[in-house]
Amino acid sequence: MPSPRRTLALVGNPNVGKSVLFHRLTGEYVNVSNYPGTTVEVARGRASLAGEIWDVVDTPGVNSLIPFSEDERVTRDFLLGAPEAALVVLDAKNLRRGLRLIFELADYGLPISVALNLMDEAMDRGIEVDVRRLSELLGVPVVGTVAVTGEGVAELKRATAKASRLAPTASNEDGLENALSTLEAFWPRERIGRRGLAAALLAGDESVPAPRDASDLLGAAAAIRRTFFRPPRQLMFEARESVVREIEAQVFSRKGEIRSGWAARWGAWSMRPWPGYLIAAGVLYLTYLFVGVFGAGVAVTFFENTVFGRFIVPAAARLMAGVPSPFWRDLMVGPYGVISMAISYAFALLLPIVTTFFIAFGLLEDSGYLPRLSVMVDRAFRLIGLNGRAVLPMILGLGCDTMATVTTRVLDTKRERVIVTFLLTLSIPCSAQLAVILAMTAGLSARVMFVWLAVLLGTTLAAGAAAARFVPGARSPFLMEIPPIRRPLLRNVFLKMRIRLAWYVKEVVPLFVLGTLVLFFLDRWGALRVLERIASPVVRGWLGLPGEATGAFLIGFLRRDYGAAGLYRLQKAGLLNLRQVTVSLVVVTLFMPCIAQWFIMVKERGLRSALGMTAIVGAVALGVSCAVNAGLNACPWILGR
Amino acid sequence: MTETVKFSLPDAEQESLEESLGILWRLRETGSLSRSEALRGLAASVGEAAYAKLVERGYVLEDGGAPRLTETGETLACGVTRRHRLAERLLNDVLDMAPASADPDVCRLEHVLSAEATDSICALLGHPTEDPHGRPIPEGPCCAGRGGPVEPLIRSVDRMKPGDEGTIAYLRLATHPELHKLLSLGLAPGTRIHVRQTRPAFVLQAGESELALDGDVAKNIFVRKAS
Repeated sequence: MPSPRRTLALVGNPNVGKSVLFHRLTGEYVNVSNYPGTTVEVARGRASLAGEIWDVVDTPGVNSLIPFSEDERVTRDFLLGAPEAALVVLDAKNLRRGLRLIFELADYGLPISVALNLMDEAMDRGIEVDVRRLSELLGVPVVGTVAVTGEGVAELKRATAKASRLAPTASNEDGLENALSTLEAFWPRERIGRRGLAAALLAGDESVPAPRDASDLLGAAAAIRRTFFRPPRQLMFEARESVVREIEAQVFSRKGEIRSGWAARWGAWSMRPWPGYLIAAGVLYLTYLFVGVFGAGVAVTFFENTVFGRFIVPAAARLMAGVPSPFWRDLMVGPYGVISMAISYAFALLLPIVTTFFIAFGLLEDSGYLPRLSVMVDRAFRLIGLNGRAVLPMILGLGCDTMATVTTRVLDTKRERVIVTFLLTLSIPCSAQLAVILAMTAGLSARVMFVWLAVLLGTTLAAGAAAARFVPGARSPFLMEIPPIRRPLLRNVFLKMRIRLAWYVKEVVPLFVLGTLVLFFLDRWGALRVLERIASPVVRGWLGLPGEATGAFLIGFLRRDYGAAGLYRLQKAGLLNLRQVTVSLVVVTLFMPCIAQWFIMVKERGLRSALGMTAIVGAVALGVSCAVNAGLNACPWILGR
Repeated sequence: MTETVKFSLPDAEQESLEESLGILWRLRETGSLSRSEALRGLAASVGEAAYAKLVERGYVLEDGGAPRLTETGETLACGVTRRHRLAERLLNDVLDMAPASADPDVCRLEHVLSAEATDSICALLGHPTEDPHGRPIPEGPCCAGRGGPVEPLIRSVDRMKPGDEGTIAYLRLATHPELHKLLSLGLAPGTRIHVRQTRPAFVLQAGESELALDGDVAKNIFVRKAS
């Protein structure tokens, strides 16, 4: 719905406290949604600024408006959508970086005001910024703030009303200005931000929205770019940089030494081989305790046995008992019923696990630890054609492979997205699966767990290395900013968790229901038994498992973790020996993704690519499982007796 | 291969020949080495007559319209280009001279530097592959080993050790579009950096920012040692 209110875009570098300031400005009335066509979360809210109500939009943190990532593209596109004004949030201790962004923003012709945030951190480090002088030099309002305490926010609200435009920096060295105005002329004069568009084109960004009647725009831009020996992006940067440094020199000063507190020390330690790997192991172990033991154990037992087992399912059964048709009864509360299987599974088993996982992940994210983990794993990830940045979707995959598949969008190249999607489908077990697998191995020799882990790691490495070879493209270099270690703000962590859980309920739960319906009808028409008969030679002959396991695997096609649960029952019934337990664990982990993940894969990678990956994953899973079976048969001592 | 050229103070003719060859070399790099372009390029500095002289001396061959450098012409053109661009790097990055004031010196140096001095400058600068304008510097015999008796003043970050400090002299950005991120992340020429660690990845401190990068990025950042 179009709003008559004016829109204020909050723009800033990453990790400058922009979101905290956003909540200070808008209070409780916040609506978080994905930016159209992306997974990038954009929060909107309302704020009263100098007596007027504004719509405030918290755009993703960016270092440049010429986009490299989806985040940066979202922010750029939002600015092109012509908000009435922009509030730029800067990190006071990293003024230069913020000024660079301000002068890029100048090309968009928006009235701006500036919040110089993190004044407290700057002061701790002996940094002083002359706010008044900065405001004079820029010609726009500048207010020093400490968003976490709310200091300066009232003044900022008043100042925002006085936002004004900043003149773009001009430099005609190397013919830059001529090139820019030639490209600018492709857009009508009234197009907001056309100089920004021209600058992006000149820098080689071909994702800019093209004007209607300019089919040769990209060609013209490429021809102009070719006339430069050095990359125009660099030339434009240098033109702005001289202005930025001049301003910085006038307002920024540092007195005394940087005090390095405990956070900075931990931050540095966590990136070095020693004790960095130890810290990584500790963090992963704590995460496991919280998600694996508390979430998947205590919380799941409570929800499954008490909430669903004692109340909801019996209540639903009583309710349905009044329904005369056995078909509808079974559909709701039968063995493959929507309530008894899909809903209770999604909410009793998965929800506690993903909730605890999202809390743990949010804490890691907010504390600034995740980028440090990227540093630690970069070398290992090179072996599988990725770089350290891929740690984010890979770790998230341990929580929910479906969500991790969506998150592959944070990666820079298509090649990396394909490799990660492939590995998530093949060999990264999700938290629901892990829970059942841990339960299965709990009473057994640690050797089973060890073999399973070794097979998984070996498969990941081998498959990743093969993918790195055969997926076209070059490895993209690893380059990322490491934010300071900070105490996580619980409010932020829970807000993110809420957003992710809402996504889970909206996007994933319906797919579980759909999967259950498919199972229900397959079972009803007897197709399940036919499939079991067809697959059973493979299961019995090649994998050396009892015929009953076939059913569990077939269910696993639709719900990977449910397959694991089926095996759990077989094991409890004493139908599996150690070798068979090990082989079946490998099969359920490597085989098909769950149905939700498969649909998301089709959505993200396209049907052809998803089918191709499914075929490869199937073949690899079967091959590895047969090999494990053969190996354990040949050397039974591996599992002890 | 050793160069056969003598470097005793060159006469005016020698100088203009070398300069002409340098112009042809540059035209060829931009892919526009034709007879008319060559004449136009030469006319602007040494005069059109230089063209006939290059042909007469056997530095340039004309087969079917487009001029082509002979082997001798190639060696000379490569040498003068290499000296010119190295001299520019030296004056720009080490001596910190503005391009305008460095130009006259560069133009003289390109004719008088000996092969040994050229290779030493090359080593001193850490065997740069591009001049300050982004044009490629032809490799010399010294570049293959990348070592040598001269301790370089300019080093790429992948050769630095934890605790080293310096100022970014220049970046080589053309090799990968991702590298432009260096600029927006604050690793720009003139920025002081401190190498915090080199393993498992490089971590650089620049002002209040900390940046992690791998060897593929580090080898494209060239740093002048802190004095």
